[in-house]
Amino acid sequence: MRTRQWIQSVLLLFLGLYMLDNMLTGRIWLYINERFGWLSWIGTGILLAIGVIGVLDLLRGGREEHDHEHHEHAHAHEHGHDHGTAPSWPKLALVGLPLVMGILIPARPLGASAIGSSGVSTHFSAIQGTGSSTQLAVAPTERNVLDWVRAFNGSNNVQEFSGQQADLIGFVYRDIRFKDASQFMVARFTISCCVADATALGVIVQWPDAPRLAQDSWVHVRGKFQVQNFDSQQTPILVAETVEPTSQPEHPYLYP
Amino acid sequence: MVMDAGAVLSTFSTRFLGIFIEAVSFLLLGTIISGLIEVFVSNDDIARIMPRNPIAATIAGSMLGFVFPVCECGVVPVTRRLFQKGLPVSVGITFLLAAPVMNPIVMASTYAAFGWGPVLIGRYVISWVMAIIVGLLFSLQNRPQRIVKPDALAAIAGGSSSAAPAIRMTRAPLLPGLKRALQLAGEEFFEMGRFLIIGAFLATVMQTLVPQDALKALATNPVNSVLVMAALAFVLSVCSTVDAFLALSFARAFTTGSILTFLTFGPMVDIKSTMMYLGVFKRRTVLYMVILPLLISVLVGIWLNLNVRF
Repeated sequence: MRTRQWIQSVLLLFLGLYMLDNMLTGRIWLYINERFGWLSWIGTGILLAIGVIGVLDLLRGGREEHDHEHHEHAHAHEHGHDHGTAPSWPKLALVGLPLVMGILIPARPLGASAIGSSGVSTHFSAIQGTGSSTQLAVAPTERNVLDWVRAFNGSNNVQEFSGQQADLIGFVYRDIRFKDASQFMVARFTISCCVADATALGVIVQWPDAPRLAQDSWVHVRGKFQVQNFDSQQTPILVAETVEPTSQPEHPYLYP
Repeated sequence: MVMDAGAVLSTFSTRFLGIFIEAVSFLLLGTIISGLIEVFVSNDDIARIMPRNPIAATIAGSMLGFVFPVCECGVVPVTRRLFQKGLPVSVGITFLLAAPVMNPIVMASTYAAFGWGPVLIGRYVISWVMAIIVGLLFSLQNRPQRIVKPDALAAIAGGSSSAAPAIRMTRAPLLPGLKRALQLAGEEFFEMGRFLIIGAFLATVMQTLVPQDALKALATNPVNSVLVMAALAFVLSVCSTVDAFLALSFARAFTTGSILTFLTFGPMVDIKSTMMYLGVFKRRTVLYMVILPLLISVLVGIWLNLNVRF
């Protein structure tokens, strides 16, 4: 009983510390949309508060006595309850699972292996709608993968993108549609809530040295669009002037 | 394509932890509210506030989300606590189903995503009617112990209904009361958290095995699109506070009726909330709580697709 009470409180404390570590290192952005950062801070605070209170009580010789001092008149009936409460072993093990996974499995953002067999859409029906007017406000050279995909989507004539400059960061992705070895996709995941709703988007890049780029590696691509035939569709393809390897951004996902 | 086991494992872990981390803060807020109710709200308060008439009480229950703004993770511990405080079971079920939509946060996010229009209005009208219908159906069963698990009815305190908190006449003083609320939240976190974790695990397994692209091929058919969006809502298990933004990304491709099914069925029922319901209700009750909203929201979605031009 007492062992399980200890494990309960220590587990809550460690979950709180794990969340705190996620928040401080920025690893949290591998999991959730930036918009919910404040909520995770609240969750972290609650976990730490519950954990600390539990551990302090146990150190002082058990919460039942402690409770007793404070509200013996009002809480007499709960007294017996406090003696008898600790989560069962299976509950402890289950709640420990996220902690174990979070610590043992190296945290990585979703990458090429998370994309289904049919690949990244270049037609982006999945991402239409949201803020279709915002891409007009973003200057072409400032646009990220998501902005360009929206722009292509909202356009009736892809020829208008011919010759436009772009400057993009993303991870390298190829699937069976990429028959030309000099082509790859600079791709990003977008998430609106957490990685559960991640959708992959990408812009096709043409670069002679493309075969040297490993799947999933992060690259910084600069170049100009040219409309070409890809997978039997007229598609703007970014003809790269430079492709530089780069480190994974602090926020690996884009937020629609 | 050959995938190495390491990449598959890390993708699985990222998805699972993503759902867990996103939901756990909402669950913690729910358990804190539940702890505060236990300490500071007496059974008399509930009895005083709730109308006697079952229909009026059910309608009041559907609006309770504006008092306790919680999503589908937070609402479960709050409902469980309200049952222990003597809230009628049918009213609690209406609250449980309505609150994830009928609350100010979700109203704001739906408005931000869709603006004033058929989706916002439809979401609220349909959810409200669904929750009331299901709640009233449960009010026909007047023995709560056949609906709810015994430990959710009898107060946790004391372990038997005779020791229910009805004994308490005075409210707890503020500071010890807050501390007690935190302790209760900790206990409840283990009680409800395990269902969240099992649910997040199952949702991750489903997402790994079922390719979403296959589902999207059915987007424009008035009947299939509704069934697909109901399935997606169940599998994705996205929090109701943000599902509007997700629905928005499907809105062009999918029929409006199917978007409404997603936005009304999803907050009431998904993999992780179903697991959490099992912590409070008997298995047969949970079955009804899944099937009734499913039937209503799917039929309404299909009917709208066939009869209304948006």
